Amino acid sequence: MTRVSENSSTASLQYALNKTKAKVEDLQLKGSTLKAITRPSDNPVSNVEAMALTSSTNDNLQYLKNADFALLNLSVSEKSVEELTDIIVKAKEIAIAQSSDFFNADVRKNVANEVQQLYNQALAIANKKVGIKHIFSGTSTLTVPFDGNGNYKGDKGHISLEVSRNFFVPINLTGEEVFYNTTDTVKAENPLEKFDQFKDAPSVKLNRDLASVESEGAKVEGAEGTEDGFKSRDNIFSQLQALTSALENNDPQMIQGLLEKFDNTVSRLVTLRTRIGSITNSVESSKNNLSNENIEHASRRSALVDADVTELFSDINKQQAILKTTYQASQGLMNQSLMDFLRR
Amino acid sequence: MADLLGIGKSGLNVSKKALEVTGHNLSNVNTEGYSRQRVMQSTAIPVSVGGFVQGTGVKVDGVRRFNDEFIDKRLNTALANNKFYEARTEHLEQVENIFNELDSDGLNQVINKFFNSFRELANQPENETIRSVVRDNANLVIKDFRRIRGTLDTQSGNIDRKIQNSVADVNQLLRHIADLNGKITTIEAAQGETGDLRDQRDMALRNLSENFKIHTYVDEKNRFIVTAQGIGTLVTGLHVQELGTVTQNKNDSSNGMNGSVEVVLKDRPSQKITDLFKGGTLAAIIKVRNEDLKKLQNDIDGIAYQFTSSVNSIHRQGFVNRQITIGADGKPAAVDHKGLTTGLDFFKQPLSVEEAGNEIDLSDSVKADLSNIAAALSPNAPGDNRVAIAISKLQHERISGDGSVTLEEKYLQTIGNIGLETGKARIDSEQATGILAQANSLRERLTGVSIDEETANMIRFQQAYQASAKIMQAADDMFKTVLELKR
Repeated sequence: MTRVSENSSTASLQYALNKTKAKVEDLQLKGSTLKAITRPSDNPVSNVEAMALTSSTNDNLQYLKNADFALLNLSVSEKSVEELTDIIVKAKEIAIAQSSDFFNADVRKNVANEVQQLYNQALAIANKKVGIKHIFSGTSTLTVPFDGNGNYKGDKGHISLEVSRNFFVPINLTGEEVFYNTTDTVKAENPLEKFDQFKDAPSVKLNRDLASVESEGAKVEGAEGTEDGFKSRDNIFSQLQALTSALENNDPQMIQGLLEKFDNTVSRLVTLRTRIGSITNSVESSKNNLSNENIEHASRRSALVDADVTELFSDINKQQAILKTTYQASQGLMNQSLMDFLRR
Repeated sequence: MADLLGIGKSGLNVSKKALEVTGHNLSNVNTEGYSRQRVMQSTAIPVSVGGFVQGTGVKVDGVRRFNDEFIDKRLNTALANNKFYEARTEHLEQVENIFNELDSDGLNQVINKFFNSFRELANQPENETIRSVVRDNANLVIKDFRRIRGTLDTQSGNIDRKIQNSVADVNQLLRHIADLNGKITTIEAAQGETGDLRDQRDMALRNLSENFKIHTYVDEKNRFIVTAQGIGTLVTGLHVQELGTVTQNKNDSSNGMNGSVEVVLKDRPSQKITDLFKGGTLAAIIKVRNEDLKKLQNDIDGIAYQFTSSVNSIHRQGFVNRQITIGADGKPAAVDHKGLTTGLDFFKQPLSVEEAGNEIDLSDSVKADLSNIAAALSPNAPGDNRVAIAISKLQHERISGDGSVTLEEKYLQTIGNIGLETGKARIDSEQATGILAQANSLRERLTGVSIDEETANMIRFQQAYQASAKIMQAADDMFKTVLELKR
């Protein structure tokens, strides 16, 4: 028969009490935070996964911001190209009307003023800003892209934004690409191309160029093989200027000659608009994906970190009942000895 | 009749002694380490009178202490194991708290913010305000690296002090054991009782076991020899080999830290025995300091180094956000009125991986001027965001651990490891507590005082005492009868 000593019974009682109390304490902490994990060691794997999910969610929120910013730039560019198209269409209508011998020099002089207005509008569009940024000056965004004579002061830089992980979209057209009828476009490059650090990186997806001619196949007629001197004249501003001077000089022949150029310009602008539109769409759809992904992240994180409330509180009740029973059992054990019964 | 009186008297003596021991047991019911005692009694040597063998009563043979040295050894081992895991859990829990960032902004979140602020800068590289956000976020990263690295160092330093205290305790216990060895030998040589002293010696050994695992042998004079595996003999009879501590510099220390406290034998101060202890709190805290904390310090330094140098190597390729004069040769001027125009570090370039987590800081140029934050790959292109993009892309690049993991993965691995280690230690600790409780109850069942048992004994001895007294009274009555014959 095993002996029971005073210390062995108190020790076993203390052990039982401690164990139950530790469990109650742990459950109560979980109950007050409603979290299944309160420290890394509770579940190292879930803890680490939850932290990675938080970062990923934060990244996505930033990508959403980037996407909104890209959309802002793209929509301003699209709107500008649209307005520009309207101006050229209007100029073309004027040119058609004035290309016959129906009008005389006085009328043409008056109309020339109207074309001058169109020129000014075109210039205003060319120098449009988003925030402090001129959208048509390449990467020299703080430089006014066009002077009064329609000379381009910006550069040929393209700006890309990462709108979701490894998915870059171009957000700008340079002034040259929009206003000049030129094949001399710089292909938008992978923004990481120049960094040795990313040589081995998985290929970055780059959305199709906004303006590069070679990617499109359709070539701009009349612009091919032109000499530099001519090229610089063959732009929207020079076309409008040419129309103005033709009108002022009362030269229907020259006006007629401009018609084809206006046509080319309009079709080129329409192409640009379409491309901007398609990029806008892809940004929109990537935004949708990001939002969906974040919802998935949130539910996965909750599954990892949040406590199952029903289970938790039934556990708390159970442990508290056990604790109570232990107390009651100890009451009988601690306060009685043979002495109590020998007293007379 | 004189013999009857003598027999009665011997019964009184033994019962009184037994009652005394019962009282001693009862009064020590709550004394830690006390082993119950019991009077050993036997019949006194009988005499032969007139051809009859006649009993002469009872005598006290001695006071025996209930004790089993194997149970004691088992208890000591269980105690050393339990204390090891208990101390390990306690310290690792403190360590894991540094990395508890499920709901707070820990290092992972601030690094994430840092990279996202570069993404924001890529949206509007022209914007000076965003540059200051970038710098603020970089400062948060710096602060958090230093917080983590500094807290790890502090914990390491706390353990240093604990080692010193522990060694002082151990020395006191060793001297105490040797002292008791001497007393026990002396008293036992004079046939004295040493139960209580032996209890004290067992107790001292138990306290010693809390520090590290020990082995004990008993020599021919009932003196204990205490050894520790890998360290040698610490107590031989009256002789004590004390432990000592020395403070060592970075190169000689066992954890690569300056001012690290190392354990030595007092007589051989040049020979470190820090890593040799097994079990107990001492081995636990040394392991936490020399393995767990050291690994974390190295990991954090490695991450800080990778982080700052890779950000720098990209940042250096960029140009400052100012108008730079382009020379006649078409090359941008390398220096302007505010300093270099390209090749600038973002963070102060760390000199080595070691201490990178403590020494992380912004470069002087970024501290001095926001336009020195380079977002552009070409000069005079305020809209060029390629450097900003490239820096933000580092977040997902496998630049850590020889190019196998991203910084975030490396950091999360680090946290995962400490979580696993802490969890493991906690489970081991629970188990060891169970085993200790078992060993303790095993010992208590044999040696512990039971009030019920002592009460029963008390009644028994009291009654035996009364009965012996009655014998003496009977002898007295018989004397009286004889004496009254004359009257």
